[in-house]
Amino acid sequence: MTREEVFEKVVEILNQYSKKEISKENISMETSILEDLEINSARLVDIVLDFEDAFDIEVDDDDADTVATVGDGVNLILKKIQ
Amino acid sequence: MTHMNDLKFKERFALKIQYMAGWVTLPFWSTLLIALMRFVGRYRIQHLREIRRYYKNLKRTVEGPILLCSNHLTKIDSLILNWSLASTWSYMKSFKIFSWNLPERANFYQNYILRTLCYVGSCVPIDRGGSREAVKKSLDKVTYLLRKGHTVTVFPEGGRSRTGRIQEDKFTYGVGRLVNKVSNCHVLCVYLRGHNQKNYSDIPHKGARFYMNMELFKPESAYSGLRATRDVANQIAGRLVRMEQAYFAAAGQ
Repeated sequence: MTREEVFEKVVEILNQYSKKEISKENISMETSILEDLEINSARLVDIVLDFEDAFDIEVDDDDADTVATVGDGVNLILKKIQ
Repeated sequence: MTHMNDLKFKERFALKIQYMAGWVTLPFWSTLLIALMRFVGRYRIQHLREIRRYYKNLKRTVEGPILLCSNHLTKIDSLILNWSLASTWSYMKSFKIFSWNLPERANFYQNYILRTLCYVGSCVPIDRGGSREAVKKSLDKVTYLLRKGHTVTVFPEGGRSRTGRIQEDKFTYGVGRLVNKVSNCHVLCVYLRGHNQKNYSDIPHKGARFYMNMELFKPESAYSGLRATRDVANQIAGRLVRMEQAYFAAAGQ
């Protein structure tokens, strides 16, 4: 799976939780999930669990803590699927 | 996984000193705060004796640490809780039953008096929305305290409810993680509300008569990892919501 494909899927997942309409054109790897996308911090675990389901990976608590930006999510997924 | 020795000796020692300082000075600040709540706020706890009896019995019979999870409507909820659960004398006899809590640093650490009261009153400040390292450090401290048999109070909504009702969508999963990290951890769900508390506020309204209901349970999850964290947090949220529904049903609302 390429970085671009992972990015697209991540955007799709984030779209379900963001109050804003987001697309791969208006967000970048640096976009903050909590601040820029206005996603409640309580939903971060749900997002990471969606990553697990979508990419068939397992993420532990400590790894989940590292996800702050879209890029963090993409990089974590790439690390897990490799 | 976090282990007890994740806290440096210096941090563990600092908690011990804080605990001792709280215990030694307890009669002074406890008397002062209770007097303020009783005579200035004119607050009353309904069924105070029964509540204290229940809690005393619980601490005697339950093996393992107890994490108090409560709804959150005012900034002094943790004070009201500790006042309700045992007398100053009982706390003098066993200060371990006095519950530690995690106040938002921005709310309570801005002036010297509050800072001192928080220190002796067993608070571990937390920077909500702060750096992950700082939040993790605070959570490591309460994990350590729970493992050492202390009681800890958390407000799983992460802040005072803006609607006056438990906001399940605001529920933080950190509480699930805390429970899963501490073996044999029991959860005491507490529903606390002043009779005249329609919404959230800084302090309860004058003359408030507090209703308090408690339910003890030991969360179990068939899942592991993050799913277990979410599952346990949802179990706690579900209990608190049911307790709130029971409160309003009894009040005829």
